[in-house]
Amino acid sequence: MAVKFFGQFLVEQSIVSRDSLIMAIDLQEQKNLKLGEMAVSMGYITQTDIERAHNAQMSKDMKLGDLLVEMGFLTLNQLNDVITRQKNTHLYIGEALVQVGALTTDSLLQHLADFKADQAQYVSDGIELPGTVANSKIWEMAADLTYKMITRVLDLQFRPGKCYITDVIPSNFMLAAMDLSGDVEARYLISVSENLQKAVARAILSEKSVENEPVEVLEDTVMEFVNVVCGNVAAKASQMGVIMNINPPVTIKPPAGGLPVTDGHTTLCFPIHIGDGDKMDLILQIKN
Amino acid sequence: MKKVLVVDDSLSVARQLEKIISESGDFVCVGHAKNGAEAIKMNHTEDPEIICMDMNMPGMDGLTALRTLSVMDKDVKVVMVTSLGGVGDKFTEALKLGAKNVISKPFEAENVLRILREL
Repeated sequence: MAVKFFGQFLVEQSIVSRDSLIMAIDLQEQKNLKLGEMAVSMGYITQTDIERAHNAQMSKDMKLGDLLVEMGFLTLNQLNDVITRQKNTHLYIGEALVQVGALTTDSLLQHLADFKADQAQYVSDGIELPGTVANSKIWEMAADLTYKMITRVLDLQFRPGKCYITDVIPSNFMLAAMDLSGDVEARYLISVSENLQKAVARAILSEKSVENEPVEVLEDTVMEFVNVVCGNVAAKASQMGVIMNINPPVTIKPPAGGLPVTDGHTTLCFPIHIGDGDKMDLILQIKN
Repeated sequence: MKKVLVVDDSLSVARQLEKIISESGDFVCVGHAKNGAEAIKMNHTEDPEIICMDMNMPGMDGLTALRTLSVMDKDVKVVMVTSLGGVGDKFTEALKLGAKNVISKPFEAENVLRILREL
């Protein structure tokens, strides 16, 4: 019941052993050349060119391929050739598992079908963001996955409201936040009303009543929900080629007038309508 | 019954895991550590056979603790229980550092117990 990659699914289901998966990953690492290595193997550039581009990357926030073109080591056509060759020769984990003898070709097809069925619940239906937001596909996915987790983890029925850009994070009973870093920098926040905090706690703790739970446990369940969503968002992001690191979650008590957003950030608010008087918002504070 | 140590900064996850473990009939929970450093200390004092450990914790994180535990105690079996399980690099790193398996959050009780019983 989480976003997974194929190798993990196979180990979790005891279809392949941990040792077989490590062997297959090692084989992938040997066979799948990085962009620079592939360009060298195709005779377009030298190892020295790569080193010069890597040094230039320290002061320029550019992908290696784009930098190799900008520095005149590769033409755009050559870069496209290299990327195409990388794609065409890529050894996927399933094929690697067949090569190390952990799966047969026939069983691979069946397990791939089972994996796709398991992960189908996390395929995005699409969400529209207002205006131009950097890395919009990542944030659309984050909102979409949040909605799916509200249904599947919290077992709550809801109606998503229209996303809008805001200067103030709307006030609510409590906020749980997690900072995201890596290729993207943002703060992911979920705000809940008092009733919804208890609903989250009941779902996370699998308890019928949480009336006698201490405040720190109730708050912790909302933080844990944020942790679960953000971990799965990071997994989806990595499948999309974006590195996203998560940090331990924190709680925030917002003032009655709401929290002003941090300078240099675009803040998106996704209202989530759950029931009479119950309010939840997903807020993404994205560094510009 | 096999002794299990739970390592997670989240009170609610620790509660969930302790409940699953204690109701299984096969395992007994010997304690709850809130970060990697506490896990290393409690591994010494409680001598668990299995450790269920989160990756993302304040202070010493799970992967750092796993690295230390795999050197200090060759017998203890560590399973990572984490929301980051689906991140391929993290999953691979955990296995290469000696974790026996990685369980993604949100988890189901039967999946957790099946994996613990297979260790």
